[in-house]
Amino acid sequence: MVSLVVLLAVWQLASVAFTARYVPGPWLTFSAMWEHLSSGEIPRHFAFTMTRMLGSFAIAMAVGTVLGTLMGLYRRGEQMLDMWVMVGLTIPSLCYIIVSFMWLGLNDRGAVLAIAWTTFPSIAINIWQGVKAIDQRLIDMARVFRSSGMRRIVKVVIPQVLPYLMAAARFGLGVVWKVTVFVEVLGGSDGVGYMLNYSFQMFNMADVFAWTIFFTIIMLGIELLILKPIETRLFSWRPDIRA
Amino acid sequence: MADIALRALSKVYRSKVQPEGLLALNRVSLAVADHQFVCLLGPSGCGKSTVLNVLSGLDQEYDGEVRVAGAVVSHDSTHPIRLGYVFQEPRLLPWLTVRGNIEFALESVGIPKGQWRERINGWLDRVGLHDFAEVHPHELSGGMQQRTSIARAFAVDPEILLMDEPFSGLDELTARSMRELLLGIWLETRKTVVFVTHNCFEACFLADRIIVFTPRPGSIKQEFTVELDRPRNYEDPRLFDMSVKVTHFVTGGRE
Repeated sequence: MVSLVVLLAVWQLASVAFTARYVPGPWLTFSAMWEHLSSGEIPRHFAFTMTRMLGSFAIAMAVGTVLGTLMGLYRRGEQMLDMWVMVGLTIPSLCYIIVSFMWLGLNDRGAVLAIAWTTFPSIAINIWQGVKAIDQRLIDMARVFRSSGMRRIVKVVIPQVLPYLMAAARFGLGVVWKVTVFVEVLGGSDGVGYMLNYSFQMFNMADVFAWTIFFTIIMLGIELLILKPIETRLFSWRPDIRA
Repeated sequence: MADIALRALSKVYRSKVQPEGLLALNRVSLAVADHQFVCLLGPSGCGKSTVLNVLSGLDQEYDGEVRVAGAVVSHDSTHPIRLGYVFQEPRLLPWLTVRGNIEFALESVGIPKGQWRERINGWLDRVGLHDFAEVHPHELSGGMQQRTSIARAFAVDPEILLMDEPFSGLDELTARSMRELLLGIWLETRKTVVFVTHNCFEACFLADRIIVFTPRPGSIKQEFTVELDRPRNYEDPRLFDMSVKVTHFVTGGRE
């Protein structure tokens, strides 16, 4: 609470020092936020952004999980894919975005391809590590007690990979957020990135602040209200997570 | 009948480095009768754990014949009989509680759910863990984890119990009390036990028969019968003599 008050005070001071054109004060920013919220622009553009984000996140998770599992399970898969996943990680996301737009056009399909493409290599690497870390000795234990193959996968293998899957999802979401806005700046006609770019063109700093703050609030909301509770629930048995 | 018969069991480990293979077990023949407690004794790398892997069906690439309770061993749910296995490490599922871990084994071998509670509580009582049923493994000491693993092995009511140096990772005092605990339970249940160890004293304390293995490639070098009455006592001078005899044989006879 104190830190919030201090932040507002510093913000206001900065606004006075650098003029509202460069640093709009809290009051200006909040009224810009209220304006966009009441006009319905916020929900509309966030809906576009979230749809792209979730669609490409789902694709990236699916592709990344399949590749990561193949790499973890089979030596051949590792030999074949290792290099290419590294290459995929190295190529700047801007290149994926441009190529996707040139292939599919400046539309949602191009955007989703660009985002998913940028994201899946890091997911694949996380899953790969997770599958490699599976403890064969626990699987043998289950076999000795005549556990069926399906039960072994559900009760022994998946719980071991789950922390890596969660890490991959978190990391993936972080990448997806940023790339989605970036893609919208470059080739969108709606969405948060588009609105940020629009405010930039108008040199409307209060709007830039307003969109950024909303964006941050929603990201934090997803982190604190969805990811964190899932993680706490899944991994409550782990000594390091229990507070 | 939970007897075991190995006939000319050989095992070759093949790898890229050694395409011609590494002979781990060389024509081991052994018969274990129902209700017998047999120790396989030998230096590490002599293939005694391989015998357990073959018996449990984990390792199916071997030469020779392996029969458990009269049936040929193959792995998975087709294993002819119910096994209990205590590994060198506890091998508990870390995300399940002590109770959950035993339930996992009970469910795997197909014990009806109605019996779980009674069985689990009974066995946890016997291994001294009844206050720890809802605790996760990482909150337990190594000895308590291994006791959980023993409770799990007995709870499935196995016809044969396989134990692979289960106490070698524990400190000697804990190991002693665990051996006494194991013998106490064994006297009541009289399961057929195959127990792998490199500890001569442990073998003498526990076993009816001690099978001494040669270094790799493992084969049976000698067999000792332990005639001491049960329940056995750590302080028994005859136990000490026996242990000296076996130790002398094992160390003196090594090439």
